[in-house]
Amino acid sequence: MAFKRWRAIAVLMAAFALVASACGGDDDTTTTAGGGDGGSTAAPGEVLKVAFVHVGPVADKGWSWAHDQGAQALKAQFGAGIEITTLESIPEGSDSQRVFEDLASDGNKLIFGTSFGYMDWMLAAAENFPDSVFMHATGFKTSANMGNYFGAAEEGRYLTGMAAGAATESNSIGYVAAFPIPEVIRGINAFTLGAREVNPAATVEVVWTSTWFDPPKESTATQSLLDKGADVIAMHQDSAAPGQAAETAGATWIGYNTDMTEFAPTAWLTAPIWDWAPFYIKTAQEVIDGTWTSEAFYGDMAGGMVDLAPFGPSVSDETKALIETRKGEIISGAFSIFSDPIVDQSGASRALGNIFTEEHNWFVEGVVGSPTG
Amino acid sequence: MTTRRLIVEPRGLASARLVVLVPVLSVLAALVLGAVFLALTGENPWTVYSKMVDAAFGDSRGISETLISATPLILTGVAAAVAFKMLVWNIGAEGQFLFGAIFAAGVGIWLGDGLPAIIALPLVILAGAVGGAFLASISAIPRVYLGTNEIITTLMLNFIALAFMNYLIFGSNSPWRDSAVSTFPQGRPLPDSGRIPEFFNRLDYGLFVAIALAVVAWVMIEKSRWGFEVRVVGDSANTARYAGIGVPRKILGVFLLSGAFAGLAGSLFVAGPVGALDPRSLDLNLGFTGIIVAALARLNPIAVVPVAVLMGALNNAGPSLQSIGVPPETVTMLQGAILVFAVAGEFFIANRVRRPDKETTVATTGEATA
Repeated sequence: MAFKRWRAIAVLMAAFALVASACGGDDDTTTTAGGGDGGSTAAPGEVLKVAFVHVGPVADKGWSWAHDQGAQALKAQFGAGIEITTLESIPEGSDSQRVFEDLASDGNKLIFGTSFGYMDWMLAAAENFPDSVFMHATGFKTSANMGNYFGAAEEGRYLTGMAAGAATESNSIGYVAAFPIPEVIRGINAFTLGAREVNPAATVEVVWTSTWFDPPKESTATQSLLDKGADVIAMHQDSAAPGQAAETAGATWIGYNTDMTEFAPTAWLTAPIWDWAPFYIKTAQEVIDGTWTSEAFYGDMAGGMVDLAPFGPSVSDETKALIETRKGEIISGAFSIFSDPIVDQSGASRALGNIFTEEHNWFVEGVVGSPTG
Repeated sequence: MTTRRLIVEPRGLASARLVVLVPVLSVLAALVLGAVFLALTGENPWTVYSKMVDAAFGDSRGISETLISATPLILTGVAAAVAFKMLVWNIGAEGQFLFGAIFAAGVGIWLGDGLPAIIALPLVILAGAVGGAFLASISAIPRVYLGTNEIITTLMLNFIALAFMNYLIFGSNSPWRDSAVSTFPQGRPLPDSGRIPEFFNRLDYGLFVAIALAVVAWVMIEKSRWGFEVRVVGDSANTARYAGIGVPRKILGVFLLSGAFAGLAGSLFVAGPVGALDPRSLDLNLGFTGIIVAALARLNPIAVVPVAVLMGALNNAGPSLQSIGVPPETVTMLQGAILVFAVAGEFFIANRVRRPDKETTVATTGEATA
């Protein structure tokens, strides 16, 4: 008796599965038909399929969010001429190769990967799918159909350092940093130089978190700096957690990536921010025109990839004017952040060296903490 | 008393047909529930399911990628199955997997390119077993001789293993870290002689090693004298003692074996698709997912294989669903639903549910209201 009912359910389910697989067959043909497989570049008048792959959620209001804003600007620019696929929270590592290859085999002709750890796997996918253009943010490897792009965040770091130097009363600035790698160290050094331009007595204390995005951990690190007497908090992190901790403690805060005023309206000073939109539009146009070539693109403030977020309520007009003047000089090329030779953490004068490689593993004068993590 | 009552009674030995039918129906029921959920959130379930099938099995690359994802899950699944069979609650497959990866990468790097692959590769793979068993021993020995709770120790060691791997790559200039790369800390690549050759797209021979090991585990547990004694201990430690079985040694053996299987998952993954101790590639909860695989496979090492393939397929379908606008959480939900249904289905294998006969007044063993 009971078994009869089981059998009935089984038959129903089997029917269900059959229908599902039958529909699957139909859908297949429709999705691949629009893929435009075969052509090496998008023909004029054809819809260009563009994909973005992010390591975190685009709602993080930080790194991934900034890239997604660029993607939305891209869509606004090309409208129906472009179709964008966005994949969020895709772990870096060997698994990501499959994700990039899936996108390429789905007919995406331009694929952006916005996190460092995708690099080697994207390179492998690019080799297997020579008809798609792959663009990797923050990396250093290129191939015939893979380029990379990044920007001079250090320019924004220097200017935000000026805001922090002016804001600190204890002369102690805390800096919550992700990983001891050249990119982050470069930012800390530029920031410290900026802070000490306006306040030679200021020091910058660094705490490492070993994570790009981990709000509780970022918060704990911030608290440790506040407890040691820091009254301004800067960060190389992707969440707003350090700002919220600073706001609670009555300290001020330099953010990163985007305008994060809303998370800590009182504490907010400013932040180095990214505008990826012009680069994404330029790249898509090149792919459409068939003029794209592989390169390592390094954007800057003059080109608009790096900018400064709006100032918070506590930044004085005097400081604003000072920063704006420097910003103008950075854009015009009249001022360069790193000058050779330079005084390091130990007080010794040294050659600047290459700031983009492992050679840049030392701190400038005024930084408290270890550059090796 | 009323006809609205159902009688639940233990089934004793369930028929083979039922043992196969119930899990399959459970998965289908989960998919039906998923379809309802998808329809309610405005997605077309047919589109979603066909996209999932297409992504996981639609072409040769999809199939090979599904099998790549399944390979470590087979072994972490076997690791959990072997331990749980004897009521050893080793939930440390995650950490043992990472230690397997650390040992394997360490041996591969240490050997360098000096040895032929026929010697180097087995050493790299075996190092994974040693690494996994080593981490398991830290929980196993106190469990056996001091009676500490292995659930807590294995769980905590997962975090220590993860932190240790991160230390080797991010926090130190260890031999595991690639000194040639100057911008971001990453794992040093294994020499070619320590890599498992690929034979079908990115898929490597590690798959066959994993399947063979699953069969070995099955034979050990189900067919050997040792396995029989292990099962006796699992059923009743006291009975085992009366029968003269050395319970502590059995528990220790099973614990280390479980750790070794999880460690082998790590070495096959490192020597296979990843090729280095890369924290970003390894921190994927493959050990924890192995527990789900084992539960779905009813702790049968052979059944672990198809279940691991199913989980691998579900895993790989996730990003593809995003490309048609379905949030990634949906796949997570579907995985969860399948697990819940499978565990619930277990109830129907162990028990018979029937309407009371006309003359029956009181249920004998237990009852549930419908």
